[in-house]
Amino acid sequence: MIRFIILFGFMYLLFHLHATGDISKYINMRYAYLTFIMIFIFAFMSIYQLIKWNMQGKKDKKEEEHHHDHHGHDHSHDENTIWKKFLVYGLLLLPLITGIFLPIATLNSNIVKAKGFHFAEIDNDKDPYANHGILRPNTRLYYSADAYEKMSVSDRKKYDSGNILALNDGNYLRGLETVYNFPGDFTNKTISMRGFAYHGDATSKNQLFLFRFGIIHCIADAGVFGMMLKFPENVNYKDDDWLQVQGTMSTVFYQPFQQTIPVLNVTKWHVIKAPKDPYVYRPY
Amino acid sequence: MVQSLLQLNSIFISLVIEAVPFIVVGVFISAIIQIFITEEMIAKFIPKNRFFSILLGTCMGSLFPACECGIVPITEGLVRKKVPLHAAIAFMLTGPIINPIVIFATYVAFGNSWEMVIRRCSLAIVVAFIVGLVISYLFNDDQLREFINKKAQKAQSQVNKKKHHHHHDHEHLHSMTTMEKVKEMINHALDEFFSVGKFLVIGAFIAASMQVFVKTSTLSFLGHTVATSILVMMLLAFLLSLCSEADAFIASSFRGTFATGSLTAFLVFGAMVDIKNLIMMLSTFKKRFVFTLIASITVVVFVGSLFGSLFI
Repeated sequence: MIRFIILFGFMYLLFHLHATGDISKYINMRYAYLTFIMIFIFAFMSIYQLIKWNMQGKKDKKEEEHHHDHHGHDHSHDENTIWKKFLVYGLLLLPLITGIFLPIATLNSNIVKAKGFHFAEIDNDKDPYANHGILRPNTRLYYSADAYEKMSVSDRKKYDSGNILALNDGNYLRGLETVYNFPGDFTNKTISMRGFAYHGDATSKNQLFLFRFGIIHCIADAGVFGMMLKFPENVNYKDDDWLQVQGTMSTVFYQPFQQTIPVLNVTKWHVIKAPKDPYVYRPY
Repeated sequence: MVQSLLQLNSIFISLVIEAVPFIVVGVFISAIIQIFITEEMIAKFIPKNRFFSILLGTCMGSLFPACECGIVPITEGLVRKKVPLHAAIAFMLTGPIINPIVIFATYVAFGNSWEMVIRRCSLAIVVAFIVGLVISYLFNDDQLREFINKKAQKAQSQVNKKKHHHHHDHEHLHSMTTMEKVKEMINHALDEFFSVGKFLVIGAFIAASMQVFVKTSTLSFLGHTVATSILVMMLLAFLLSLCSEADAFIASSFRGTFATGSLTAFLVFGAMVDIKNLIMMLSTFKKRFVFTLIASITVVVFVGSLFGSLFI
């Protein structure tokens, strides 16, 4: 019976997540078909388990009536003692209970602190001493394939066509990647974006980072992507405040990372409400 | 604190949701092996020579799409069917790395370039082969934990008993009707799901806690020399417990900080050993064997990626 409850619970949890759309807060929707199929498999498994349990109950009863002698037949499974049973099934029930009853938490600056963040290396960094003490791979290695050139060139054209690069939910990751790959192209161009504020350790009053979590497969592999912002005046935003900003891009040498990173000199900004879908997803 | 716990829970749930489809596929394949493939078929198929059988295991792993947690029950099923342990281990090590989905993900993550794909796959093959060889010299028997053998025996005796009940005179599984076989297969898959599932839950929970409470960012500053940075990336791969389809994207985000050799180590080691599948391996195989296996994987991955970053 407990097995049926667990299987049914898994089906219910996945069904619930799909029905409410909350599944996007756990995994990249590109992989949602996998969990969608799982709803039916778990439905089948739980019905099968229910029938099996039912028939077993009947059989056991019949056998009892006939005073059948089972030599060597032990009813115990691997999980023989009650304590062990409790542990095994309790463990499987745990994600079901917490998944269904606890509210979904959104990844925020708290996770940034734990996971840290990186910036892709910038190619136009001419200073050979800038990366002293840190291994610096030749990023060109990865770019040798023609295909990548083609892809990034087409991206480059796409995002580089106007004077304004507007990063939204759909183009956030690819757009930012292009910015980091060809920072020269975007210098003095206008970029607009939204994200949550994050104060690293070494930024002054008019500096902060604007980040969004990008998801590849599930939120366990989420990473932060964003840019450093420089305001014309001192600002007092807290971590996790969501901002919509617009500004012109330049680059700056960022001491803690010992590398040059793009920075957005913000001209217009205002606080916004956290979007319904706080994450951006990596399309292939 | 409450917020951290809720985030921990969300990451935990997402790891479980992400892995469950692969686990279910894994237990069904394991059940199919258990019911439809006989030991005689395997004995005919697997070469006696240890080199060839390891080679065959490596190739089978390359053809077989699975992730590192789904493959553990499959390997268990193979070993129970008397596939030589070293061949099964070679299969287990290449399965999660060399398959179309993972290759494609790696190709895309590293800017549509084959270089990382080739490095990752060739190191995986080398590791699987050498580790398989080491295992074949160190261990002779199947190294499954006792209760798994007991479980198998019990299943066998139950089948026999059932036959006794129904006054069947048949001796073996292959005399069952297809319907019975399918039923037996589903029963098997369900049992396996419950025995593997709990370890997935424990593993996912530990991995989620690591992500929330351990500052992995500090790790990246430890990697100053080629050797230490490889070790750091291997440790990181172990702690993060990413699925082998997603880890390429994480690795590519470390491009600025770590050299190619360390990234290769991350991609190969993480797909072979991580918290999630360590717990699952411990549930299947004997402790001494699992730790020998991990130690040899660690050494070979380390030496291999060191060699790769220095000479290739």
